[in-house]
Amino acid sequence: MSLTAVKEAGSGTVTQPPGPGKVRPRKAERTYYLMLVPAVLLFTLFITLPGLVGMFYSLTDYAGFGDWKFIGIRNYTSMFGDPRILDSYWFTIWFAVVTTVVVNTLALLLALGLNGRIKWKTGLRGIYFIPMVISGIVIAYVFNYLFSNAVPQFAAQLGWTAGETSLLANENWAWLAIVIVTAWQAVPGAVIIYLAGLMAIPNEIYEAAQLDGAGAWRRFRSITFPLLFGYVIINTILGFKGFLNAYDIIVGLTGGGPGTATMSVAMTIFNGFAGGDYAFQMANAVVFFVFTVLVSLLQLLFVRNREVNLS
Amino acid sequence: MRTTTMSQRLFPRRTFLLGSLAGATAGGALLAGRGSSGDGRTTIRFLQNKPEVVTYFDALVADFNASQSEVHVVHDSTPTALVPQFVRGTPPDLACYNYNLEASRFVARGALSNLGGLADARRIDPGVQDLVAQYAQYKSQTSVLPYSITAAGVIYNKDVFEKFGVSVPRTWSELLAACRTFKSKGIVPVVQTFKDTWTISQGLFDYVSGSALDVAGFFSRLQALGPDAGPNAEVSFSKDFGDAVEKMLALLAYTNRDAPSRNYADGNVAFARGDAAMYLQGPWAIGEIAKINPKVRVGTFAMPGTENPDDTKVRVNLDLALWIPNASSKQDAARAFLRYLMRPDVMDTYNAKNLAWSTTKNAPKAKDERVSGLQPYVDAARFYQGAGTYFPGGIPVLNYLQELVLSRNAKAFLTQLDDDWARYAQRNA
Repeated sequence: MSLTAVKEAGSGTVTQPPGPGKVRPRKAERTYYLMLVPAVLLFTLFITLPGLVGMFYSLTDYAGFGDWKFIGIRNYTSMFGDPRILDSYWFTIWFAVVTTVVVNTLALLLALGLNGRIKWKTGLRGIYFIPMVISGIVIAYVFNYLFSNAVPQFAAQLGWTAGETSLLANENWAWLAIVIVTAWQAVPGAVIIYLAGLMAIPNEIYEAAQLDGAGAWRRFRSITFPLLFGYVIINTILGFKGFLNAYDIIVGLTGGGPGTATMSVAMTIFNGFAGGDYAFQMANAVVFFVFTVLVSLLQLLFVRNREVNLS
Repeated sequence: MRTTTMSQRLFPRRTFLLGSLAGATAGGALLAGRGSSGDGRTTIRFLQNKPEVVTYFDALVADFNASQSEVHVVHDSTPTALVPQFVRGTPPDLACYNYNLEASRFVARGALSNLGGLADARRIDPGVQDLVAQYAQYKSQTSVLPYSITAAGVIYNKDVFEKFGVSVPRTWSELLAACRTFKSKGIVPVVQTFKDTWTISQGLFDYVSGSALDVAGFFSRLQALGPDAGPNAEVSFSKDFGDAVEKMLALLAYTNRDAPSRNYADGNVAFARGDAAMYLQGPWAIGEIAKINPKVRVGTFAMPGTENPDDTKVRVNLDLALWIPNASSKQDAARAFLRYLMRPDVMDTYNAKNLAWSTTKNAPKAKDERVSGLQPYVDAARFYQGAGTYFPGGIPVLNYLQELVLSRNAKAFLTQLDDDWARYAQRNA
């Protein structure tokens, strides 16, 4: 959450107003600064300052109210010895990786389909867009019902015994249900970005390629995918970061269960607030923040200079 | 009940208006609660949020507002910002709130005023008042006055019991024998709903452990250990809960096969339809069952946990308790409404209507046959607060319980509780 905000707020400073003369740029700069100030102030007040306060309290034994004292890095050391915390990290990373792959594969396929010469294109695009505008918790409760009641009943009628107990009650496979529902909600957003990318590719290149005798797969591999790579990066980074913060869909589907099998880091942090573990989970939040920043930086480093441009 | 005058017809509307204001934003509630209303009354904000009885308390508040001209009570039924309100120093002036470990933190930190001087405090049954201290105690203060006790046991279908000639079990082996009888006749002995994790704690965990061991004693000794707690300490879950957990697992053999994917509402439906003989739920489920099938004949008995019927106890919780924060600047006005709520007719009417018990000495007995089976235990103060309610939120005991009933690994469950408790105690030492 905070990371995207940083990027958005930061992008304003990078933009240099072009234009000849000496007076106009200065004037324009002032305008840019004026546009920037409210965002920076609000961001500092509501994101940076609370973040710093949280970091401060992670070094104390604060319960959220009442007395507190400094305890140094004890919250951090006990965090790394807590299997429950470590398990939540493994689950969250696994979930985020799988969901990113699933979402991007499906979204790319759907975008290629919806960009093709098909009937009802606009209507179909609208239908595929619907999941995006429904709140995650609502989707989760609907799917919860489907997984717990509809699917087992259907399985019973087909005589498929393994399907008769809900996927959500299966300790080893409940994560799959969460991936399915998260992907269902996240695919449309990624499709839109891929569609934008596809529409930005001029038709002439495809025509030229076709004249040269390139088949559909060759055109995808050598033209579409390289030119779309920037959009793949955007979807991967934003998607992965979003999936790391998984919360509402898990709450609605499994509540972290069965047992603690699907307890995400965000859930662990939030549950600690209610449970008098404020300072301890603040330490967890700081570690998670650093982790998310590192992952995003690594992703950026990895993909830098791999983008292909037409010009 | 009472004749309706012009002002009384107006008052509920006004309360509703102010109440919805309080509900809309905490800020609105604070504005309404600050200072006094135009007619010279002191306005107090009264927090009460038990969903089933919000309208009931709306009527009580309206009655009280109409009955005198000193205090104007605004009913606030949104508790979500309770802790932040304490942090900001603007808690409600009076609360009639579920007393649990969470609420006990206000007691432990001395945020509640001493009600020990009130005559009403001396009317409370000492056995009931002790329940407050089992979670927290601040000096020798009486910080909380219990208002309503709900007692929970095994809900059973009287028709099914009579049909197969089974009588109410008094010992653990009689319970298992009853289960075997029902199972052999194709009736689900005990319907359970593992999808809603709180139901595992409420029923299986709390009931079995409550009768099998001294829960309050165990947790007070465990808390006394502080950071020294752990699997090898003199009291530990591994040592003291082993027997109870084995018994829980034994009962799983007599549970509906689809329990892992059933939730609380499913359990109510299954029991109301007569699919099962027994149901491990509290009195709140009885009302739901009656809505689904008014014809089902229901009774409640205390679950035995040992071979000695004298060990059997019922699970209670202080469903509602009254407290007044120190931070309230309107102590007198709050106490005036508290005295009204504590009037025997007001208190006893509420509790009789909600299948609960009043908390005073010589409180009236339960007349409803659906819960009257628990009366002897309430009379003798043979009750306990569920083991599951003693865990701080930082330990996800409900999730661990779900893992236990799915994996049936008692040792892993107990070790996990011991380790988590030790870690929690160490970082809060």
